[in-house]
Amino acid sequence: MGNGDYAQDAAPKGRKVVAELRGVSKYFGEVCAVSDLSLSISEGEFLSFLGPSGCGKTTALRILAGFEVPTEGVVILDGDIVNSLEAHHRPVNMVFQQYALFPHMTAAQNIGYGLRQRRPRLPRAEIADKVYKTLDVVRLGGYEHRRIWEMSGGQQQRVALARAIINEPKLLLLDEPMAALDRKLRKEMQIELQDLQRQLGITFVLVTHDQEEALSMSDRICIMREGCIMQIGSPQELYDRPNSRYVAGFVGTSNFFDGILTDNKGVLGTVRVNNEMPMQASHGSDLAIGQDVCISIRPEQMKLHRQGEGLWVKVLNRIFLGEHTEYLINHETLGDFLVLSPRQAEMAESPFNPGDRALVSWEPSAALILDNK
Amino acid sequence: MTKDINNISKKEFLEKLESYRNGSITRRHFLNVTGLGAATAVLGGTVPGLRPTPAFAGDIGDRVVLATWPNYHDVANFDAFTETTGAHVQVNVFGSNEEMLAKLQAGATGWDVYVPTNYTFEDYVKEDLIEPLDVSRLPNYDAAAFEPRYAEAGSVNGTLYGVPKNWGSTGMAINTKHNDGKAISSWKEFFDITMDKFSGRTVVHDYQLTTIGSALNYHGYSFNSVNPGELADAEKLLIAVKPHLFAITSDYQPPMRNGDAWLTICWSGDGKQLNSDIPEIHYALGSDGGEIWSDYYAIPKSSERKDAAYALINFMLDPNVNVKEVLTHGYPTADSRTYDMLPADLKNDPIIFPAQDLLSPLEFGAAVTLTDPNRAELMARFKSA
Amino acid sequence: MTQRTRNWLLLAPAGAWFMVMLIIPLTVVFIFSFGERAPSGGVVLAFTFEQYGNLPARWAAFKNTMTLAPIGTLSALLIAYPLAYFLAVKANPKWKTILLVLVIVPFWTSILIRSYAWIFLLGGRGIPALLDVIGIEGVRLINTPFAVLVGIIYGYLPLMVFPIYVSLDKLDKRLLEASSDLGAKSWKTFLQITLPLSIPGIATGCMLVFILLMGEYLIPAMLGGGKVFFVGNALVDLFLQSRNWAYGSAVAVTLVVVMLITVTIYMRLIYRLGASREDVSIM
Repeated sequence: MGNGDYAQDAAPKGRKVVAELRGVSKYFGEVCAVSDLSLSISEGEFLSFLGPSGCGKTTALRILAGFEVPTEGVVILDGDIVNSLEAHHRPVNMVFQQYALFPHMTAAQNIGYGLRQRRPRLPRAEIADKVYKTLDVVRLGGYEHRRIWEMSGGQQQRVALARAIINEPKLLLLDEPMAALDRKLRKEMQIELQDLQRQLGITFVLVTHDQEEALSMSDRICIMREGCIMQIGSPQELYDRPNSRYVAGFVGTSNFFDGILTDNKGVLGTVRVNNEMPMQASHGSDLAIGQDVCISIRPEQMKLHRQGEGLWVKVLNRIFLGEHTEYLINHETLGDFLVLSPRQAEMAESPFNPGDRALVSWEPSAALILDNK
Repeated sequence: MTKDINNISKKEFLEKLESYRNGSITRRHFLNVTGLGAATAVLGGTVPGLRPTPAFAGDIGDRVVLATWPNYHDVANFDAFTETTGAHVQVNVFGSNEEMLAKLQAGATGWDVYVPTNYTFEDYVKEDLIEPLDVSRLPNYDAAAFEPRYAEAGSVNGTLYGVPKNWGSTGMAINTKHNDGKAISSWKEFFDITMDKFSGRTVVHDYQLTTIGSALNYHGYSFNSVNPGELADAEKLLIAVKPHLFAITSDYQPPMRNGDAWLTICWSGDGKQLNSDIPEIHYALGSDGGEIWSDYYAIPKSSERKDAAYALINFMLDPNVNVKEVLTHGYPTADSRTYDMLPADLKNDPIIFPAQDLLSPLEFGAAVTLTDPNRAELMARFKSA
Repeated sequence: MTQRTRNWLLLAPAGAWFMVMLIIPLTVVFIFSFGERAPSGGVVLAFTFEQYGNLPARWAAFKNTMTLAPIGTLSALLIAYPLAYFLAVKANPKWKTILLVLVIVPFWTSILIRSYAWIFLLGGRGIPALLDVIGIEGVRLINTPFAVLVGIIYGYLPLMVFPIYVSLDKLDKRLLEASSDLGAKSWKTFLQITLPLSIPGIATGCMLVFILLMGEYLIPAMLGGGKVFFVGNALVDLFLQSRNWAYGSAVAVTLVVVMLITVTIYMRLIYRLGASREDVSIM
C-alpha cells in the first residue's frame, strides 16, 4: 500500500473488485443526498467513508446495503448490477449505528437470525455450531442465552458484529459502529475490528465522522463533502497529498496561506500570498494561473531556529505536549500559524518562549499548492 | 287560556301528535337502555344556582323535581307553572314502574312528585315510600269529576295517595297490508299468526306485565295471574314464540314504521300515532283480555319540597292545564271537566276512547304482579332463553 | 418528608379511589349474593347458596357472552391490526395525525347514537334493501347475533387500534431493515420481528376489549332486539326490573369470577407465548 497513484475510482491493483458505484446519485425529493459517486471496492479491503454529518456517507452505505435505490447511476455487486435488488437478496450485511438488535431474542438467536433465513434450510445443528463459533470469534462465549438488554454496550456491539459476519457477507457495512462506545472501549474495538477483518478476510466498509478512527483502521479512505467524494486514497496519501484544502483540513491539521497562483511552469509553482508575498510550493497539474489557491504546510514540517535561512516570526505561545511542543507563531504578512517541534529538536536547542523572535523554515516540497475549495 | 284550547282543531291535535312522533326513538326505551334517567336525577340537582330566584311572597322554593314518563307532558305547562310560582320544574324521566320503585327502594332522594301506575300503590304504601295526600292543599282536585275506575287505585285502605293523571290501554297494532287487509283482535290470533305467517315480524314488550299478561290471555287466564301452573303455560308459549319474534323491545314504533315489524303489543297512544301516519296499521284491543291502566300524581316520602310538590300537582289538576296535556300526548283523561273541553273528534276517536264493551275484557294491572318473583324470573328466563 | 411517606402520598388518591369505587362495592355485592330477595324487591341479608344454585337459569346469557365476547375480540383484532399497521408503518407522517383523529372521532359520539345508525343500516330499509336490489332477497340482519357482532366490532375498534398502533409506532424501523439485511423476506420480517414485538399492544387491546365486552349490555340491547342476551343485560334486568338484588349479585359475582379466570388463563397464554419464544433453541 501507499504507492500513492490510485486514480479517483480505482481499486488497489491485482485484487478482485467486489462492489462498484458508477455515477451514483440519490435525491430525496429535491434534496440531493449523494451526487455522482464513483468508486470500486476490492476484495478484503477496509474502506472508510469519512465526512461530517450530512455529507452523504450514510446514504452511500445504505445504497450498498439495498435500503435506498439510487436515482441515477449503477450499483454493481460481485459483477451484477443490483440497483433495485432488495436488501434481503444481497450478499451484504450491516452493523447498524445503534446495532438494531432484536430485543425479543437472545444473543444467540440474534446471531443465528441470518442463517435461519437461508433457503434451503440449514440443518439446526449446523446453525448452532456456527453460532457458537461466531460467539467465540467475537469473544462472547457463554453469553448465548443473554437477553440483549442484559448486555453492555460493548457486548451488544459484538453481537451486532457477530450477527453480520456469521453470514460471511461479500461486504460488511458498518454504520458508525463505535459512536455509542466510550473512548477507551472505542480504541479496543478499533483494534479488534482490524484483527477480525484480517482474520476473516471480509471486505469492510465503514462510515465514520471520526478522522482518527478512519486513519487508524482503513486501507483506503473516501473523504466526502456535501454528497460528493472529495478524494479517495490511503491514509498516508490523503495526509501527504491532499487534493484540496478541504481534505488537508479534514485529515490532520495544517496551516493555510491564501493567495493567487502566478506561476505553474516548473516543479514548484509560485503563489502570491496575501497579494504581496511570493512563495514557492509543489503543485498539482490542474491549477490555472490567476486562480485562488492556498498553500498548505503541516505544522510538523516547519522548523523553528535562531540562525540561518527563514522568515522572521514572533513566538506568541508555547504548549508542551510531551512528544511535541506546539508553538503559535505570528508573521507580519502570513498571520498566525502553528509549528510543531519534535522533542529532539527541543532538546538540541533551548526552547523558545513567548515574545521571542525566531526564524521559521520548511522544505519547499512540504508546502502544497491546493485548490482553495 | 281556556279560549284557545277550546278552539283547537283535530288537525292541530294531529300536528301535535306528529311532533311527538318525530322523536321516533322513544325516550322511554332510550332511558331504559341507558339508565340515563338516574344520571339526570343526579345532575339536575347540582345546579340550583342557575335557577331564577323567585320573586314571590310566601314562595314554595326555587324548584320542584318531577319524576315521570317520557313525552307525557306539555312543556308549556311547566313554563306557566314557573311563571306563576317562581319554582322551576325539573323533569326526570323513567323507563318503567319497576325502575322507579327500584330507585326509591335503593334510597334515591330528590324527587318531589312522581307518576306511578295504578298497580304499584300497594307496594309503595307497604314500603312506606309514598306520602298520604292532604286534599285541602289541592283545591283543583274534585274527586267527583273523576271516573272512579281510573281514580280508585290512588287510595289504599281509605287513604288518598295519588290523584289521576291519564289512563290508557294496552292492545295490539297490526300492519293489515300483510294480512289481506284484515286486523286481528285477540291474543290467541296474535301469537298464532306470529308462529305462522308473521314469523320474524312480531314485537313483544320488554316488560313483564304486558308480555306475560298477553301470553296468559292467550290461554284464557287472567292478565294478572301469578298461579304457577298458569305461568308455566304462559312461559311455554313465550319460549315457543321466541324464535318467531322480531324483537323483545318497548321501542316498537321504528320497526313498525319502516316495515321490519308487522305486529306488536302496543300502548293506545302509540297505536293512535301509528294509525294516524300509516292507516293500514290498525290498533285493536284483545277480546280475550289486555291491560287497562291509569297513572297518578303522587309525592314520595323522601320529598324535601312538599309545598312545591302540592303546588305542582294542584296546578296540573287545573282542567285548563290538563287539557293541554291530553292534546300533547293523546292519552285519555279521567277528569270529566277536562274531557268536556276536548274537541268532538277526539271524544269520538275509537283508539283514544274505545267503546265500553271493548274495554270490559281488560284488567288493571294487579299489585301482586309488580313484586311477584315468579313473573319477574319468568320474563328474565324468556329473554335469556 | 421521607421518600416512603411521599410514595404513600402519591398512592393515596388512587388507593382511596379503589377502596371507594371498587373494593367496597364488590364487597357489598359479594355479601348480597348470599342473601334472599325481599318480598317486594331488594335484598334480605342471609347466608344461603340459593342464588348460586339458580345460576343455570342464566346459562344462555353466560353462553352468549362467552361466545360473542371472544369472537368479537378476535374479529376486532383482525380488523384493527392491518389498520394500526397501516397507520403506524405505511401512512405518510403528514396524514398520520388526521387519520388517527378519524379513528377517534366516532368516540366523541355516544355509542347509543351510533347504535341507532346501525339499527337503520341493518334494518329492513338499510343493507337488506340494497341486497334486495341486487337480487339477494330475504336477508335478515337486525336483531341477530351477527348484528350484535357488527356493533361490537364497530364500537370497540378504536380500543383495539390504539394499543396496537402505539406498539407498532414505537417499533424501531431499523429492526425491520436489519431483518431484511439478514436475508428475511418482508412477510418473514413481519412474522419474526413486527408481530412478536407488537404482542404487548395486541395483548393490551384484546384485554381491554374482552373485559369491556364481558360487561357489555348496550349493544346487545340495541342491535339484538332483546333476543341476543348478555350477562350485562341479565344484570340490568335483575337490578332494574325484577329487583332481585340477591340473585343479581350472585350473577355479578359469577361474572367477575369468570372474568378473572378467563383473564388469568389469557395472561398465562400470553406469558407462555413470550416464554416459548425464549426457549426455542437458537434456531
